[in-house]
Amino acid sequence: MVAQILRLKLDLLANSFRSTPWQVVGLVLALLYGIGTAVFVTASLIALRFADIEVSRPVVIVFGSLVLVVFALLPLAAGADDILDPRRFSLYGISNNVLAAGIGVASLLSVPAVVITVIATAQIATWGSDPRAVSFAVLAAVLIIVTCLLSARISTTLATFLLSTRRSRVISAVVGIVMLIALSPFISLLTRVNWEQDGIAVLTRMADVVGWTPFGAVWAAPADAAAGLQSSAIAKLAIAILWVLALFAVWRILLATALVTPGRRVQTKKYLGLGWFDRLPRTPIGAIAARSITYWTRDARYITSLAIIPVIPVLMIVAFMIAGLPLQSLALLPVPVMCLFLSWSVHNDVSFDNTAIWLHLASSTTGRQDRWGRILPVLFLGMPLVLGGSFISAALYGDWMALPSLIGVSAAILLAGLGLSSVMSASFPYPAVRPGDSPFSQPQAGGSSAGLVQGISFFGILLLAGPAIAAAALGFMYGDIWHVVSLGLGVAIGVGSLVLGVRIGAIAYDRHSADLLAAALKN
Amino acid sequence: MLSFRDARTDRFATIDTVSDVDQSPDADAPITVASRKPRARKPAAARQKPKEVALSIRGLVKRFDSRIAVAGIDLEVPAGTLYGIVGPNGAGKTTTLSMVTGLLKPDAGSVAVHGTDVWTDPVAAKRKFGVLPDQLRLFDRLTGGQLLYYSGVLRGLDKDSVRTRSADLAAAFGLEDSLDRLVADYSAGMCKKIAIAAAMIHSPRLLVLDEPFESVDPVSTANIIEILKRYAAAGGTVVLSSHTMNLIERVCDSVAIIVNGSVLAQGQMSDVRAGSTLEARFVELAGGRRAAEGLEWLHKFSD
Repeated sequence: MVAQILRLKLDLLANSFRSTPWQVVGLVLALLYGIGTAVFVTASLIALRFADIEVSRPVVIVFGSLVLVVFALLPLAAGADDILDPRRFSLYGISNNVLAAGIGVASLLSVPAVVITVIATAQIATWGSDPRAVSFAVLAAVLIIVTCLLSARISTTLATFLLSTRRSRVISAVVGIVMLIALSPFISLLTRVNWEQDGIAVLTRMADVVGWTPFGAVWAAPADAAAGLQSSAIAKLAIAILWVLALFAVWRILLATALVTPGRRVQTKKYLGLGWFDRLPRTPIGAIAARSITYWTRDARYITSLAIIPVIPVLMIVAFMIAGLPLQSLALLPVPVMCLFLSWSVHNDVSFDNTAIWLHLASSTTGRQDRWGRILPVLFLGMPLVLGGSFISAALYGDWMALPSLIGVSAAILLAGLGLSSVMSASFPYPAVRPGDSPFSQPQAGGSSAGLVQGISFFGILLLAGPAIAAAALGFMYGDIWHVVSLGLGVAIGVGSLVLGVRIGAIAYDRHSADLLAAALKN
Repeated sequence: MLSFRDARTDRFATIDTVSDVDQSPDADAPITVASRKPRARKPAAARQKPKEVALSIRGLVKRFDSRIAVAGIDLEVPAGTLYGIVGPNGAGKTTTLSMVTGLLKPDAGSVAVHGTDVWTDPVAAKRKFGVLPDQLRLFDRLTGGQLLYYSGVLRGLDKDSVRTRSADLAAAFGLEDSLDRLVADYSAGMCKKIAIAAAMIHSPRLLVLDEPFESVDPVSTANIIEILKRYAAAGGTVVLSSHTMNLIERVCDSVAIIVNGSVLAQGQMSDVRAGSTLEARFVELAGGRRAAEGLEWLHKFSD
C-alpha cells in the first residue's frame, strides 16, 4: 500500500507536466529555484567545513533553524491545496498506520523534500572533518529530513483542515499580512547591526538560545560535538529525537481525526437589512456600487488587496532605508504608491465576479452603469486618501510647498489608473482567483495574457501620470511654481483619463459583454 | 402541427393537432388555478382566437471548436404554456437556453421573445424574460435579500416595489428566514430557489429556467410548480429544462426532446408521448437503453 501511494504521487507529479504550458513553466521555475537554493546552501555548508568552529557553529544553527521554521509555516501561509489530503483516502479502508507511513514516504517526492535532503546531507560534510561530530551529523541529517517532512505534513493537513471554510480563509489572509508587517521592524532592527564587526557575536548569542529549541537542536547537536561540548550535544540530540516522536504522534492523531471529519461546519452569520444597498441611490449605478463595496468588505480577495496596499509602502520604505535614503524624502512615497496599487487593483475586476456576471448581461446593464458602479467605491476610498494623505505626507516632509505636487501626482495616478483599469477590465479579462478560493491560490486556468495585461495596466498608469510626476520633480529641483503646475496637470490628466477611460471601457463592455461571460466560463 | 423525427430510421411523421392554451382571465384568484387539473383543456372549437408566440427559435446553431453543440434548432413556444425541454446529458439544452437568453452568441439562427429579436434588440428583449442559468455563479457574497434587491434594481424596479416583491417572493419560496444570510452559506436547493425568485422579480412575460428542480426537495418542488402554473395561467410562459421525465410529463403542457443538438420531437405532451410515457418515448428516441450485460462479477460480492 505504501508503494501504491508512492506510485500515485509519482503519477500526479508526471501529470502536472501534462497541464497547461504556463503551469509547466511554473513547475520548471520551482524546480530551478529549488536546485539553485540547494546548490547555494550545499556550497556554503561545504565552505563552512574549512571555517573556524566559532563561525560555522552559530551560522549553521541560526540558518538551519530558519529552514525548519519555514518548512513548518510555509504550507499555512500558502493555504496549500493538499493533493495527498488524508481525507481523500478515507473511503478505501486503509489502516491509519499504513496511511501515515504511505503519505509520509510519498511526500519525499517533492521539490522541497529533495532540497532539504540535499541540505541535510551537505551538513554532514560541514562536520565530517571532526571524528567526534561525524556520528552526530549523520544522525542529525536523518532527523532533519524527518522533522521537515513531518512538520510540513502537519501544517498542510492543518491548513486544509482549518482553512477549509470561507471565513477562515479571510482570517488566514489577514494573519499572513499582519505577520508580514510584524516582521518589518524586526528586519529593520537586523539592518542596524554592524555585521562586519559584531556579526558573529550576535549570531553566537542567537545560536545559544535557538540551539535549545526543537528547531535548532538538531543542527546544534553535531556543532556542539565538533566544539567539544559532548554532554550538550547529547542533550540536544535527545531534544531533536523527542521532537520527531512528538511530531509523528501529532501527525498520527491529525490523520486519524481528519479521516473521520468531513469538512468543517461554521455558524452562519446574519446580516440585517440591505446594508450599502439602502445607503446608496436606487439606480443601477448605485446598486452596482453597493454590490462592489459589499464585496470589498466581505470577499477575502478584495480584503487582501485592501490590507496589502498599506503594507507595500512600508516595505518599500524599509528597503530604501536599508539602501540609505533619507527618511525625510521617503515621506513623499506612501500616498502615490498606495494610489497606484489601489487603482491598479481593479484592472481585472470583471474576472473577480466569475460567471456571476451573467446577471448583468441578462438584465442588459449598460457598460456605463457597470463601469461607474465598479469605480465609484474605489474613488470614494481614494479621494480622502489623496487629500488627507497628502497633508500628512507634506507635514512629515516638512515643506508645505510639496503639497500641491503630492495632490497632483496622487490624483493623476488614482484617477488615470481608474480610467485605465476600467478599459482593461472590460477589454482584456484574464483568469483570476475564483470566488471562495484562497486569495493566495493560483487561478485554476492559466492564461498567457495575464502577465502582459498586468504589466500594461501598471506601467500605463505611470505613463499617464508621467507629466504630473515630471512637473513635481522639477518643483523639487527648480522651485515652487512647478509644484502648482504639477497640481494642475495632475488633476487635468486624471479627470480627463477617468472620463475617457470609462467611456472607452463602456463601449468595450457593451460590444463584448457576451465574451466576458465566455471568458469567465473558461476560468 | 407537430413533427417527429425518429432517431434511428430518420423517418418523418407529421401529425396535425389543434393546440390551444388556457388564457385564464381569473389569474388573480389564487385557489381556482391551483386546484384545476394540470392539463385540462377546453374544447378546441370554443377557443379559436389566435395565440401569441412567446418564444420563437429559428435555425439556431452553435459549435465549440469542431464539436457541434446545437445543430439547427427550431422551436415555437406559445404564450401561456409550461414548455419542457428534455434531453440526455450533453444534448445541448443548456447551450440552447444560453443562446435564447442572450448569454451565449449563436453561430447562426435567430431568437425572438414576443416578437423582439434577442440578438438585434437585446435591451428590449431582455426586459421581457427572466433567467435561471444552470451552473453559473450567483453574487454569493450578498445576502439573499440583497441579491433579490440587486436583481430588481438592475431590472429598473423602484425601491418600494423591490421591497414588497422581495418579501412576497421570500414568503412564496419559503426563504423568509434566510434573507439575512449570505447566499454563499445557502444549500444547493436554496440557491436554486433564490435564483428563481430573482428571475421573477421584474414580472417578465417569459421565464427561462435551466434545471429549476435540480437538488430542490420535493416540498419546495411542489411549491415552485404551483407558482409556475399560476404564472402560466395568468398568461406568462415558462420554458424549463430537466432530465426528470415524469416531473416534466406531470407539469408541462408541451415538450421538446433534444438529442445531440437536434430536436427529435416537439409538440403537445399527449402527442409527444404517443400513448406511452414520456420517459419510455424519450429512451426510445434517444437511442434505446444500453443492455446491462458484462457485469457478472458485480453480482458475486468480494467479501
